[in-house]
Amino acid sequence: MNTDPMAVRDLFAGHYFLFAFLASIGALQIAVSNSGIRGLWLTPHAGITRILGIALILTGIAVFFLQPLWVEGPWAAGSVEADSLTREWGKASWSEIAGARNVNDIHGGLDGVKQTGWFALAVILAFFVSAVVGTLSMKILSAAQSGNAGTLTNSDTDGLEGLSNRSYLSNLPISWRNFRTDIRVLWRGELAKTDRWSLMRMLSRKGGSSE
Amino acid sequence: MTSLDANIVIWLNGLSGNVKIFDDLMRLAASDYLMPLVFSLGMLGLWFSGKTPAERVKYQLTMLMGISALSIANVVVWLFNIWLERPRPFVEHGDELNLLFYPPTDPSFPANPVAVGFAAATAAWTINRKFGWWLYAAATLFGFSRLYAGVFYPTDIVGGAIVGIVIYGFTTYLRRFLEPLITSFVRLMRGLSAA
Repeated sequence: MNTDPMAVRDLFAGHYFLFAFLASIGALQIAVSNSGIRGLWLTPHAGITRILGIALILTGIAVFFLQPLWVEGPWAAGSVEADSLTREWGKASWSEIAGARNVNDIHGGLDGVKQTGWFALAVILAFFVSAVVGTLSMKILSAAQSGNAGTLTNSDTDGLEGLSNRSYLSNLPISWRNFRTDIRVLWRGELAKTDRWSLMRMLSRKGGSSE
Repeated sequence: MTSLDANIVIWLNGLSGNVKIFDDLMRLAASDYLMPLVFSLGMLGLWFSGKTPAERVKYQLTMLMGISALSIANVVVWLFNIWLERPRPFVEHGDELNLLFYPPTDPSFPANPVAVGFAAATAAWTINRKFGWWLYAAATLFGFSRLYAGVFYPTDIVGGAIVGIVIYGFTTYLRRFLEPLITSFVRLMRGLSAA
């Protein structure tokens, strides 16, 4: 049976993206629950958020590696000699499942560059899902408590630090404003401290700027 | 050296076929998807870790160095591949090996997956010893599983580990030539509330 590597690649890409998304949102939840970044929590409680994070990672791994049981594909079917031109397109059995995903990238598996691209997209999506759910969760909590936990006005804290007690939507304008205010000073200060062979320092000298 | 290398891979791979569940675990660990995702998740987790803003910036700068080291390690492995073109063990000793993994078509030395794993683990180790040791263990398991599967020689694994560690050190050294670009990137991420 002839199996087009492009068709295999499309199948792998979709499965890998789901895998990377579930695992990265899980890892994100564990990290933000440990460091108290409440604006990105999927639940209002640190302990539950951490357990949810672990569950999401395990779900991602389980779904990705067990999918060949119910999804038809070019699974290795127990034979490492098979390639995309010779392997059967079908479902894998339990005895084949451990090696089912071991498909060479020249036969439609994902190479490192493609994995990196899909992983980056999955992380961006995981971050925004966490930010949206975290914002809704903080708004609902602050409304229930009739307080303003979602809109603290202290502009000294920003970035992830600001997300400790502010929602993403409340934190973003403050962080961006602070960035715009600080970046020129920071750039000049860091440039002055940097190595004399710094590429940026040499470019700035070439551009005629004085120190 | 070459014959010792071959003898080790033939002996180790010869243990396969006895305990199916162990072979299956090795097939999973050798997968192109599982361990690379573990390294990536480790780096993602560290980006958002840190209890204070200063600690967080240190973590994030280190993770950027780690990501850069992964890319540079890939290039260095590719250059070694072109230079040495060492055939895979199953090419030279195919009749003595029970291959548990698909037969890769690129050269054997140094082991690319191990180089990437050790670069990520070294980055993590410099800021969090305990977590770093876990990632070193994962990278070692990744290398061992590929050795057990019959697709690398032991010296490929050792070579990959050395490339990963050395390239991370080199990338950290290179950072001084790219400042303040790196710090400004972290500051931009902070402006987007992502750092």
